[in-house]
Amino acid sequence: MSASQAPVAADLAATDDLGWAVRLLAATPTHEHRDPELLRRWARAADAFGAALAPVACTARVVESEGGLELGLLARYGSRPPTVELFTDTIELAERTVDARGWRHWYPPGSVRAAALAHEAVHVHLHHGPAKAALKHALGHSALRLGRLRVPGHVAGAEEVAAHAYARTVCGLGRSPLLLTAALAAEAEAGSGTTPPPARDARREN
Amino acid sequence: MGVVILLVMAAGVAAMLTRKLPTAFALVLLAVVIAFLSGAPLTGENSVLDTVLQEGAPALAATMVAIILGSWLGKLLDETGIAGTLVRKIVEFGGDRPTVVALGVLAVSALVGTVTGSAPAAMLAGIIGIPAMVAVGVPKVTAAGTVLMGIAVGVPFELPVWQFFSTALDLPVDTVRGFMVKLFPFALVAAVAYVVIENRRRGTEHAWSLKSVSARPAPRRERLGDAPWYALLAPVVPLVLALGLDVAIIPSMLAGVLYALVTTTRPGEMNKRLLRTLYGGFEVAAPPLALFVAIGILLAAVKLPGAVDALEPLMKAVSPQNPVLFVIVFTLLVPLCLYRGPLNVFGLGAGIAGVLIATGIYPAVAVLGMATSYNQVFGVADPTSTQTVWAAQYAGVSPQQVMLRTLPYVWLVALGGMCVTAALYV
Ligand SMILES: [Zn+2]
Repeated sequence: MSASQAPVAADLAATDDLGWAVRLLAATPTHEHRDPELLRRWARAADAFGAALAPVACTARVVESEGGLELGLLARYGSRPPTVELFTDTIELAERTVDARGWRHWYPPGSVRAAALAHEAVHVHLHHGPAKAALKHALGHSALRLGRLRVPGHVAGAEEVAAHAYARTVCGLGRSPLLLTAALAAEAEAGSGTTPPPARDARREN
Repeated sequence: MGVVILLVMAAGVAAMLTRKLPTAFALVLLAVVIAFLSGAPLTGENSVLDTVLQEGAPALAATMVAIILGSWLGKLLDETGIAGTLVRKIVEFGGDRPTVVALGVLAVSALVGTVTGSAPAAMLAGIIGIPAMVAVGVPKVTAAGTVLMGIAVGVPFELPVWQFFSTALDLPVDTVRGFMVKLFPFALVAAVAYVVIENRRRGTEHAWSLKSVSARPAPRRERLGDAPWYALLAPVVPLVLALGLDVAIIPSMLAGVLYALVTTTRPGEMNKRLLRTLYGGFEVAAPPLALFVAIGILLAAVKLPGAVDALEPLMKAVSPQNPVLFVIVFTLLVPLCLYRGPLNVFGLGAGIAGVLIATGIYPAVAVLGMATSYNQVFGVADPTSTQTVWAAQYAGVSPQQVMLRTLPYVWLVALGGMCVTAALYV
């Protein structure tokens, strides 16, 4: 799994940040059938919401561990007890990928770890405060409309887009961490030789 | 001779446990060996070929038809977007509160569980349900367990299961239904407790995942719009007919298929969709169908007069007759239904149930109570059953993790079922 094997041909950077946010939403379950224009609108709203968030301190305990590549994770937040887990192996691969792709001007040294902390801080913030309702309001999706009654609907994945936008803003990154995530996904796929998901195949005896 | 038969059964369990033999093959082999050991002739009355194989194989035919219809309806719920729409609505309404979303997916899984069983049921509710729960912050093990616990809530009302116990234990469907209605509250309370307690204990989880975006554009599933609200009632149609209006099982399920079809499909496309989903249903029904042929054969073998005579004294010696002991012993034996153990009702357990009834040790209803209680356990927690393996792998965790998390809850369900059984029938 070396960064040099990266498929340079795939010019991931050609897709803009909003495009990556749309892809994230499209890949989030419950959005399979949605109109791409609607997803784009949501991505824009969530991105703006995250970028405009006032800097929040990460109040959770921070722990570092290995094994992120195996799990396919860069960082993880758990609410009980509030803990942010940073996966050092994935972060190292990310730093190497930045160099290999020549993206250093977008992601300065050490910025991946900072972005991970900022990203997870948003989850902490949204989990414990009133900000969650504000995000929902900003998205403006209705789960149900009956005359004047309107039940605001949850948009799965929007929190994730907001967290990435926030990290990009407060860490002063040139591009969204989503672009880096896509590059890492390509690395991981190339490294593991694409293991097919067990998804629809349950061909075993009862 | 009884001891030899039990040893052969133990060897059969070992072969299934170690995966030397698929369960269905092992059961047929067991049946033939048991039949020979109990002195059955090759042909004629109570014989190996004519009774055990020829009459045994189609004995559970009604169950098999019900399974096919359930799989057919399951395919329709999937293809018409009914299952997906249910999950999507739940996320839109409850997405801020992971526990609410999990309870909603639990309810959908329960509905699906009344229609079809094992892996197809888990896939129907889980393909969208599990990632949807994970996306709103439900930890993966909790998410996988939620779908399985939900299916188990539906199992007491799964019509093919009624048919199975009715035929296998030779009881009227009414009797089976009567007990299932009593078992249901335990399954429901345990499942809701699982979701609420586990979500409280584990909290929510959000991960910066590499899989959240792929370098390739997301593979689009066929673009399904929302199914209309009245189509979402399709999963309950068979249940309402069979439970509320006393309609027989197969017509009830056929009505469900028709309802799902006419509420979602333009007349011109109906034939094509019906055939496609029916054939797709056969494909997902293949493993249980093979199993039910084998169980029919095994049941025929253990009911042979020679086998009954040989096993009766042994089984009598170890089977508690006192109600309190009955509850304690059979609740403690719960782990024996895991890992394709001897009490797995869709395995050797069916044979043991057959022996218990044929030898007259317990009334058939008591055996029903025992078997259905075990069914509630391994349907959720057995790390070798397809639905558990599928749900765990799809969520990205191991089946053993799911077993450890869910077993305490389903064990209590079994305890409840045993208590009801002992109080009413022992
Ligand atoms: Zn996140």
